[in-house]
Amino acid sequence: MNSATKAMLETAEACAMCRCGCCKDQCPMYSEIIEESISPKGRNLLIRAVCSGVVEPDERAVRIAYSCLLCRRDEYDCTARLKNAEAAESFREYLVDKGVPTLKEHEALLKSLENYGNPWQESRAARKRWAREIKGRKAAPGRMRVLFYVGCTFALDRSLQETPKALAHLMELAHEDYGLLLEDEACCGSTAKRIGQRQIFERIRKENEAKIRNLGVKSVVTACAGCFKTLKQDYPGLTEDVEILHSTEYLSRLVQSGNLRFKDSKSIVTYHDPCHLGRYAEVYDAPRKILKAVSGLKLIEMRNSREKARCCGGGAGVKTAYPEISGKAALRRLMEAERTGAETIVTTCPFCVQTLRAAAEANSSKMRVVELSVFLAELAIPTPTGAAR
Amino acid sequence: MNESVRAELRKELVDLLGESKVLWSKSDLLPYTKDTYRIRFEDDHRYFPDFAVLPETTQEVQGIVRIASRRKTPLIPKGGGSNRTGMLVPIYGGILVDTIKMKRVLEVNKPDLNVTVQPGITLKELDDHLKDYGLWLTQEQGSLKIATVGGAISTSGFSRLHQKYGAIANRVMSLEIVLADGSILRTGPKVLYTSTGYRLHQLFIAAEGTLGIITEATLRVEPLPETSDVVMAFYDDFWKANEAAQRLMASGVVFSGAEAYEGHGLDRLGAPEGKTSLIYVLLHGIRGEVEAEALFVKKLVEETGGFLARHDVAMTFLDVYTEQWCGARALTGFEDVITTYVPMERMREFYDKLWNVIAPKYGIEPLPGEKYSLDVGRYRMAGGRYKLPKGERAWERYQEAVREIAVLATSFGGSIQSCHGVGIQHRENIALEYSDVALDTMRNIKRLFDPDNIMNPGKKLPMKK
Repeated sequence: MNSATKAMLETAEACAMCRCGCCKDQCPMYSEIIEESISPKGRNLLIRAVCSGVVEPDERAVRIAYSCLLCRRDEYDCTARLKNAEAAESFREYLVDKGVPTLKEHEALLKSLENYGNPWQESRAARKRWAREIKGRKAAPGRMRVLFYVGCTFALDRSLQETPKALAHLMELAHEDYGLLLEDEACCGSTAKRIGQRQIFERIRKENEAKIRNLGVKSVVTACAGCFKTLKQDYPGLTEDVEILHSTEYLSRLVQSGNLRFKDSKSIVTYHDPCHLGRYAEVYDAPRKILKAVSGLKLIEMRNSREKARCCGGGAGVKTAYPEISGKAALRRLMEAERTGAETIVTTCPFCVQTLRAAAEANSSKMRVVELSVFLAELAIPTPTGAAR
Repeated sequence: MNESVRAELRKELVDLLGESKVLWSKSDLLPYTKDTYRIRFEDDHRYFPDFAVLPETTQEVQGIVRIASRRKTPLIPKGGGSNRTGMLVPIYGGILVDTIKMKRVLEVNKPDLNVTVQPGITLKELDDHLKDYGLWLTQEQGSLKIATVGGAISTSGFSRLHQKYGAIANRVMSLEIVLADGSILRTGPKVLYTSTGYRLHQLFIAAEGTLGIITEATLRVEPLPETSDVVMAFYDDFWKANEAAQRLMASGVVFSGAEAYEGHGLDRLGAPEGKTSLIYVLLHGIRGEVEAEALFVKKLVEETGGFLARHDVAMTFLDVYTEQWCGARALTGFEDVITTYVPMERMREFYDKLWNVIAPKYGIEPLPGEKYSLDVGRYRMAGGRYKLPKGERAWERYQEAVREIAVLATSFGGSIQSCHGVGIQHRENIALEYSDVALDTMRNIKRLFDPDNIMNPGKKLPMKK
């Protein structure tokens, strides 16, 4: 038994000892489906029963295993702070390792990963389309300090390509020394890891690690919360000598050093914490600090924010497997944002932007959903070379 | 249940409710095999219901009950599922009626201060809804995130604000019940007080689903208080805190609720060395009232030798304490909780016998900081938490300890359970608390409502000797 399986069983046993069900209160999947089995408690009981042979890992068991956003919101309602998301992810790995057929809905993602290096069935060349107007930034060994790792979703979803463009623009304004892998960039492996495909993930991780190491960069910056979590927490070998930064941390430093400045704005915004950035990496202050650096801007917090923020419904393969539930979870979050009276939701994850924007469009909401770099690029003003350095 | 009967029953249920509201796979039924009651470890997966159903309307519940009634199939009504005495364990299989999808708020009547809801809404969800109307239910029980209105009524749940606002039992105005033959009973008008008719709704408070299934409840609510406050103080030992609690009760000051208990690691809350116990007093009302009450309580603390905690610490403590209802059972291992009702004048004797005689005899031991806990006021709940015995005959010794604690509480004129119900755990023990005539009357009531014994069979009432 590997250490992840052992930890999974310990979590499941501990949960079975208690069975309080506090985890259900804010669980986005339970909130929409309202069935005991679709909750961290229900899943822990299933893990225990499957691993002890009481229950067969049949189709329904697999459905329950994959009905989790891995958002970790429930862990803040659990007095024992059980690592339910970690257990759920390990359970998927356990099922895959046992050869249990998993969800058909995920097959296309995996094939695409294998063939194109991204889960979205786009060619490798398509990855550089967003950067047509950017010249001379192709990463090469020893040529730059910072690697801007764009991520599959920001690079390939046309409706989101404004983010890498905006972040590149902000880096240019701040006179940063950065490079891009463009068509040589490959998926970080987050999707594979979250749906239990450990072997596929490990292959991707090794290739990426070698590629990034070869560049000799000091930092990797990404705007994608999923890539950030994966590179920072699931690439233990890389983080020893390369600093992994989310764009919010990176931009916050630029703001603090005076290398990034903004014009005044009368915007009223609320900020949505992506799970992978917030609960997983505890990056709560950086995006807020940047927003507060915009003079005149009013930031109103939602009722559930920071570690208690509700998930947008976009994570861990749920959006692909259960689009309807994902949409409902996003609507619930959108409604929470609307209650603040803000006109804009700012967030920092491609999946959060996708789901919240789709919910806003489907429900004729007037709220604008915008990624932080895009929001900032509209307000950023040039600074003299090397200002405040 | 044999497979062909099971297949027929499944078809009937699916025809009535649709596929998505009828659960039969083991993976889905696992959460229904037991509640938080400590059954034998090897029995954890023993009691699967044949089906779990998820009705959304009274009519659907009625349809389910009619099917079960015709087939004489057991029905186990369920709310949030956090019960501690085994009232949700499907010991005879059957259909588990999970009401958690019945979450609608049907009416908020602000002028008459009442709300009508379906039974599956949690206490927290209801308070979130009522907040927009400037109202609240006032029921702060530890499990408020999970406990449903139907479950709280069926268990006669606790509220730590009982002194000022009463418990859920005091807030039920009228109920709609689906009876065992499928008929729908409205217990009476939606009023708090009336002198007409028998007060039928009272029969369903703490009935544990043995008389029918609650499908609608009208509850008394209150305007949100203008302000609230907490006064917390540390004492040398539990008995000094208890003395302060008695003074508090005798003073006539209208506090919302209070608890005295022996704590663990109170130094982290700023308790001076040697102070092992604390009391906290909750106050709700209009500003002037709460300020005056807080001053009064602080003076009482001074007079009883207490050390006043910092106000911000008290507020934070209360938030954390509220969130820790389940007491991290996941980490403490096998434990159980005592929630007996003990008369004030026998409190010390109760605890002396509990920890000095019963505990060593059966090998139970108190969890750190959970040896003494008293809900101050009308409730008189004497509580504690203990680790279960280990080794040979561990489970039997645990049952014997539970029995002896029940004997002790009832011999003092108290009650075995102030808020967790009877379930399986105390089914035989409640004969300690009621006369033969009282028990026969209860059995007759059960027979009247449920002649075929399909409503949560094997719970609540002792077997007839």
